Parts: sequence; structure tokens; C-alpha cells
Amino acid sequence: MVTCLGDMFYPEVGERIVRLLRRLGVTVEFPAGQTCCGLPLFNSGHHAEAAAVARRTVSLFDGAEHVVVPSGSCAWMVKHEYPGLMADAAGRAAAEHVSARTSELSQFLVNTLGRRRFHSAVEGPITYHDSCHLLRGLHESQSPRTLLRDLAGARFVELAGADECCGFGGSFSVRLPAVSTAILDKKLANVEASGAACVVACDAGCLMQMRGGLSRRGSRVRALHLAEVLDPDRDAS
Amino acid sequence: MSTRAEFLGRIRAEMAKTPGLFAATPSARPDRPRERLDVLRRELSERWAESLARFVREFERVGGVFHRVAEVAQVPDVIASIAAERQMRKVVSWHPAALRLDLAGPLSGRGLQVSAMPGAEVTAAERERLRAVVAAAELGVTGADLAIAETGTLVVVSGGGRPRSTSLLPACHAAVFDRDVLVESLAQSGLVLEAWHDGPESDARGAAINFITGPSRTADIELTLTRGVHGPKEVHAVFVENGLAGGSRG
Amino acid sequence: MSDGDLATPFRERATRALGDRFLQEALTIATTKFITLRQEAFGDYPEGEALRDRARAIKEATLQHLDEHLERLIDNVERRGGHVHYASTAEDARRIVLDIARQSGARLAVKSKSMATEEIHLNEALQAAGVTPIETDLGEYIIQLAHERPSHIIAPAIHKTKGQVAELFARELKRETRPDPEMLTRIAREELREKFLQADLGITGANFAVAETGTVVLVTNEGNGRMATSLPRVHVAVMGVEKVVPSMTDLAVFLAILAKSATGQKLSVYTSLVDGPRRGGELEGPDEFHLVLLDNGRIKQIAGTLREALYCLRCGACLNVCPVYRQIGGHAYGYTYPGPIGILLTAMLEGPASVKDLAHASSLCGACADACPVRIDIPRMLIELRKDVADKRIAPWSERLVFGAFGWLLRHPRLYRLGAPLARLLQRPFTRGGRIQRLPLFFGSWTRTRDLPPVAARTFQERWAELERSR
Repeated sequence: MVTCLGDMFYPEVGERIVRLLRRLGVTVEFPAGQTCCGLPLFNSGHHAEAAAVARRTVSLFDGAEHVVVPSGSCAWMVKHEYPGLMADAAGRAAAEHVSARTSELSQFLVNTLGRRRFHSAVEGPITYHDSCHLLRGLHESQSPRTLLRDLAGARFVELAGADECCGFGGSFSVRLPAVSTAILDKKLANVEASGAACVVACDAGCLMQMRGGLSRRGSRVRALHLAEVLDPDRDAS
Repeated sequence: MSTRAEFLGRIRAEMAKTPGLFAATPSARPDRPRERLDVLRRELSERWAESLARFVREFERVGGVFHRVAEVAQVPDVIASIAAERQMRKVVSWHPAALRLDLAGPLSGRGLQVSAMPGAEVTAAERERLRAVVAAAELGVTGADLAIAETGTLVVVSGGGRPRSTSLLPACHAAVFDRDVLVESLAQSGLVLEAWHDGPESDARGAAINFITGPSRTADIELTLTRGVHGPKEVHAVFVENGLAGGSRG
Repeated sequence: MSDGDLATPFRERATRALGDRFLQEALTIATTKFITLRQEAFGDYPEGEALRDRARAIKEATLQHLDEHLERLIDNVERRGGHVHYASTAEDARRIVLDIARQSGARLAVKSKSMATEEIHLNEALQAAGVTPIETDLGEYIIQLAHERPSHIIAPAIHKTKGQVAELFARELKRETRPDPEMLTRIAREELREKFLQADLGITGANFAVAETGTVVLVTNEGNGRMATSLPRVHVAVMGVEKVVPSMTDLAVFLAILAKSATGQKLSVYTSLVDGPRRGGELEGPDEFHLVLLDNGRIKQIAGTLREALYCLRCGACLNVCPVYRQIGGHAYGYTYPGPIGILLTAMLEGPASVKDLAHASSLCGACADACPVRIDIPRMLIELRKDVADKRIAPWSERLVFGAFGWLLRHPRLYRLGAPLARLLQRPFTRGGRIQRLPLFFGSWTRTRDLPPVAARTFQERWAELERSR
């Protein structure tokens, strides 16, 4: 599942994931007709619309053995909310079927494929921001850190307030832009204080927010997706 | 304004609309709490020294001052020294029967003015007078009906001869107790509360039970901790190793 | 800025708060401190997690038999000589308390900290009826003198500097002193000791009320709860119906986690259990005890979407971790209860329309649910409120149009995919050096402070054919 933001704004992330997974021996398919998981509709209370989108998305991924999602928030939406959005038993069963097979990228690499060691594709120290839905929705804080700590050719530094929100929150970022930016400023102050050359996140929304802020302030620190720091072409061992 | 029936009727109507969010039960309550408490006390008496050690740690951590004497006869000396160190002269205390020791006698003639609270019901005028005495006092001496090791908490039950104000109005509070009132945890104090409310004797005691964990405090101004806002600025615990009068060892 | 002015839109109030440098600093320091203290307290307390589950279960179980527990509570209070009153609305509650004050000839009332009495705006009503209410919690005392509302559930004067407090005391109390918290506390102690001794009426809330025994439980650090329930001759406790707990055994569970969640203390300094008027030869204690049971929107939520919010212990832990609260503070919310739980409680008390903006004052990060001692799923209910606002057409029609159109588009992939080339066309004038720094209209809310990436030259879907071929 490439996700709407991934498809439109970060296609290179999707490409790297495909290359990486193929290198690891995974057959990657991309069901045509993907649009969005519906999270923005769900979060703003438009649940009938969200349910319709969910139903369609479930049918797109119906036959998949695994569904890999590069964003924690989208993975959460599918795993956590899709079944409950279905009014009928058949729909719920189909949703549960897909949701049980869905994981976010780092979870897929570490838990499903059992692959932990990669080469770093970037220079300099790396730090990590816990995206809210991945951390608190999917209870996942370990897999990304495992991958980043074991990265050959890179040093991992823990971020102060890693578990604090970056301020994106979907439409929150444009409904309350001043508050969203104030929250972001706090996050970026921590990022810059960490001494890292880049901050990694497993969510396109967080990346859009953090990258947008770092770029605006002319910072040398980069905000990257996990897939951008894992070298897809080299084995670690 | 509603009547009881209207009010509860509305609650029942709403309750009928839903089974709730998930299956849940309140805490299992002890069957015969007073018996259970007796059993607990016997168990605790085997390890009172550990409970005391923990109590002291927690009590000091919240700013309490701990004293230990072997015999109840030594308690007045401790009280006298607390007062002397702080240049305090006016002392009020629970009635000797509630305190389980005589303070006024031993402390008379040592420059201290000790007023013991009356044991029985008094007139409204006398209550007024006594309130002024307690408000003017600098040190209040009480017993303790429970000492909770987990949190360093002293618990006082009010009633005749053991007024609430003794541990509240004076700037300094000292509580005298022995090993019989030690419990280990908040959970055990829950059992004690069940036991204290079980049976008709609960009607004879006062209407207030106070858990006291250190001196009165606030951090409302710029998060700076200050002590002695409304209640005492200092709390002292005086532990009598060989027990108070009328106890398991006295 | 002292009061949340509801005529000003929420967004403006929030922006104003962001510009208040002292508030920003105070919020950061205070909330960070509370977070650290809470984490240390629970870090040191392995039983804590199981107790939180227990506490949540007790709250849910209590609601499932709320009528029985309240009946038992009422019977026990009356058996001990207390009086129970039933307030469906805030207006009812005010009238009840005023009647009690009038019948007892009270002129001066001392109040221990009670959010319930804030909620019903009791102080103004008392004042108007000729009864002077004096807040005795130091933080509440300060803001009362300053004619403000509390900005945090636990630390109401968190937004005030010691300098401001010293000025306040000099001006209102004619007591001059250095801006030293120790000295200021001493002044408050002296001033309020007088009031406690003179007051006719003590008004409190209730952190809990134990049904089995008819006991009202007050948790304070200062001792004002003890004072207010011991010295005046009449005691009135105003209590939301959801505060009842079945037994003393249940109470012990809550006591074990409440203070730890609020301030990181194992227990607050004073936990006072009072069950009715003075008896048994006591010197102190009220002659009359009144318990006012308060509905004010709670009962309707028993079967409502906000039922879980009835578990709330009013500990303030969710405020301290909320990224929004930490930036804007309590006053910007504009209502009695701020922060994440405050949005839910406001909806409960004032109806869903009151939170049409506040329901969106959240990035749905979930830190609140994590911190909540009884694990209230606040984000879920915020989304429900947003749904309510959308369904009831309280949200502006333009918004419903946009989301409706978006939802439709997401189910029509061919049209959706046209969005990319269209966006690439439209963004051209705004894209410079691989990023977009200024966009017109609504989109300017992002670009005012952040860069935006342009829509990619080729989306992933547009590249897929090639990726397929290259494998």
C-alpha cells in the first residue's frame, strides 16, 4: 500500500521499498487503483465516507499474503479501524482478513522477514521520531530502532522527546497552523539538539511536517523515511 | 430541583439503554473484615520491624521527622525537646485515654503549657474556648490509629478526646504510636477501613478519618514547594518500641 | 489575558496564548515537571499497571449499577444525619446551595478546591446573594483575587509569576512582601486561617463518595479540605454523580493511583474521609452536612458516546502530556475544564455545538489516553465528537463539501489520478528550488510557516509500470 501522500509526494520512497523487498526475495505486487486508506475522512468524523473508502480498499488487497504500508498511521487505520467501520458481518470478516495481514514497513522487515541488518545509505548520526499512530496505535517502538541501531556504517542517537507529537495530525496542521507549528518547533529544537544529520520517521505525514519545517529554517538536518536510510542494494553481513 | 425518585429514575432510564462498555466488577470485598483484620494483624506482628523500616523511609521522604524511644515513659522527653528546639510553649494533646499516655503530668513544670482535650462531650461555649486554645497552640500531640509503611502515612480517627484540630491547627504535629498500628500497604489500609465501618461501633467514633502524609504543602506558586499552607508545617512521628499503655504489650 | 473570551474564535485565543512568552515558559516547565514526576512515580510502582486496569473496571462496573450505588450512598448519608439534594442542572445546584446558605444564615463561606463548583459558576451566585465565598486552595485563592478562572485542573495559577502574586497580595490584601513563595504562602496561611475560623459555611467537592459507608473523600495537599469540613458549622459537598465508588476496598485502588497520576506523589498529604455531621463527642465538625448530587449533563452520557469520560478522576495527567495544552494553556479553551478531557467534559456539559472548534484542537496523538490512570480513550471520543459535529451539520457547509468531494474522489481512482497532473500544472508558478514556499488562500495556512513538497513529477502509480518491467 503506497498511501496517498507516498504516491503523490514521496514516490521515491515507494520505489526504494520495492527494490529493497525484491532484494530480500519478496514478490512485490501493487494492486492498481489505490487511492487513500481514508484516515483523513475518519479523523474528521466523516465515517460513512471513510467506510466506503475502506470497503473499496479491502477489496483491492483481498488476495494479498502480506500488506506492507510505509506509514504507521495508514497501517493503523487498516488494522485498527477498518473492521469496526463495516456495518455488515461479511464486510467485517473481509476487513479483518486484510487487517491481520497488514503491517508497517519496519514491522514487516523485523517481525515477518526477520531481517535486521542493513547498510546505511546516509552519512552521519541518525535519530528517530516515534510517529504517534505507530507508537501508540500499533504499540511499535522497537522495530524501527532495531533497524537503525543495527545499521552498518551509521551511529544511532536517541532523540529527546522522541515520543512527542510532531504537530502534523492531518487536517490539524492546517486548521490550527500556529499551534501545529509551535509543536513542530519544539520537535525540531530537539532534533537539532540531538546532533543527528537526519531524523527518521515511519510516516509520510510526520515527514511532510518535519521536512517542511527543517527546509523553511534552512537546516542542514534532513528528515527521511526509514526506507531512505536503508541501502536497498547492499547486504550488511 | 429533582426529587430522589425523579433523579434516580432518570439514571435508571439511561442505564436501561446500554449494557455498558465491557464486562466489569468492582473489587471483591472481604467477607468478615474484622476477622480478616485480626488475622492480618497477627501476620504483620511477625514482621513489624520491616514495616517500620519502610515506614521511616517513606515518612522521611515526605518530610516527616521520626523519633524512636524504647518506653512510653520517654515520650514526654521527646515532646519537650521538639518544643524546646522550636521555642514552642503551648502544647495541646488528645485526652490521655486516647493518647494512651499521660503528657500533662510529666511536662508540667518544664515551661510548657499543656492542654489535654476533654474526653466527653462539652458545651458549645466550651468548644469555642477550646478552639481558641488549639488555634493558639504551637504543637499538637495525637496518637495514630494506623501507620502505612508504603506511603509513610499516619491515619487519625476523630472522636471524643481525639479532636480533628489537634493534628491540624498547630504549626507542629507529633503523633505517638507503637507497632500495633503498622500496616504495609494502601491495599491493607482498605481492609482496615472496611473493618472500621463494619459493625455498630463505627457509630461511636467521630465523623472524620484523616490520612496524613507529611506536612501541609503546596507548589502553586511557580511550582516552588512550600510547607505549612493551612495544616502543620512539620509532622513528627514518635515510635514507642515497647508499646503504649493498654496495647498488646502495655 | 485573563479569561477565555468565547466571543473570540478559538483559533485566535490559541494564537494569543502562543504569543504570551511567560505563559509558554510556565507551561513548559510545569507540564514537563508533572510528566517527569508521574513517570518516576509509576516507574517505581510495578503494581501500577494492574491497578489502572482495576480502577477502570471499577468505574465501568459502578456505572453499570449506578442507581444502586447512589441509593446506598444516599441511605447511608441520611442515616448519619446528612441531607442529600438532587441537582439536574447547574442552576438547580446553585439554587440548592444558596438555599442552604440562606437557611443557615451564612455570610461567609470557605471553599476547598472543587471543579464541580467552578463548573456551576457557584461563586458569582453566592456573591450576588450576599454570601462571600473565599477560595482556600492557594492557587484558587490567587486567581480569585485576580478575578480569573483556573488554567489547569491541578495547578490553577500555573500561569502566574511570583512577582504577579506579590503584586496581587499587595493590591488586594494590603500585604506587602518580597516575591518569595515562602513569604507569600505565609501571608495566605494567615489570611485564610482567619477566614476558616470565622466562616459559617464550608463548601467542597468530593473526589470520591463511598456508597457502602456514606463517606465523602477529599484529597488535598494543603489541608484546606480538612479545615472546610471541620470548622464551619455547615458543610456542603457538591459532587458529580459519577464520583460514587462502591466500597472502601475500591477506594484504596483509586487512592493508590490518583496522586501518582496528578503530581507523582504516592499519596496527597491529606486524604479526608468524612461521613456526616459531628458526632461521638467531637469538638469540631459541622452541625449540618449536605451532599448535592450533580447531573449537569452527566446522566445523559451513561448511554451516550461520552460514557467513558465519566471515569475521569480529574487528575490532570492528560493536560500535562497534551501537545496542544502544553502550547496554549487552559484559558484558551474557554471553558471550565481545559485540555483533552476538558473538551469531552465541555461537550457533556454544554452540548456538541460548544466543541465544534475544540474537538479539532487535537492532533489525535494519543498521549492523553496513555497517561490517563483509568485509560480513557480520549482520541476515540474526540473523533466521535467530530462525527457528531459533521452529522449534525454544525460544521460549516464548505467543510462538509470538501470532505464529501474528497471521499467521492477516493472511490473513483481514474479521476483521482487526474489530480496529479492537475496539481503539477497548478503548482508550477509556486514551485521554486524543488519546494513550495507560498500558496494562496486556505493552503497558505501550511506555507506561512512550513515548506511544502511539490507533487512528484511522476507519482508512484505512474512509475509502477516501469518498476514492474524492471524486475
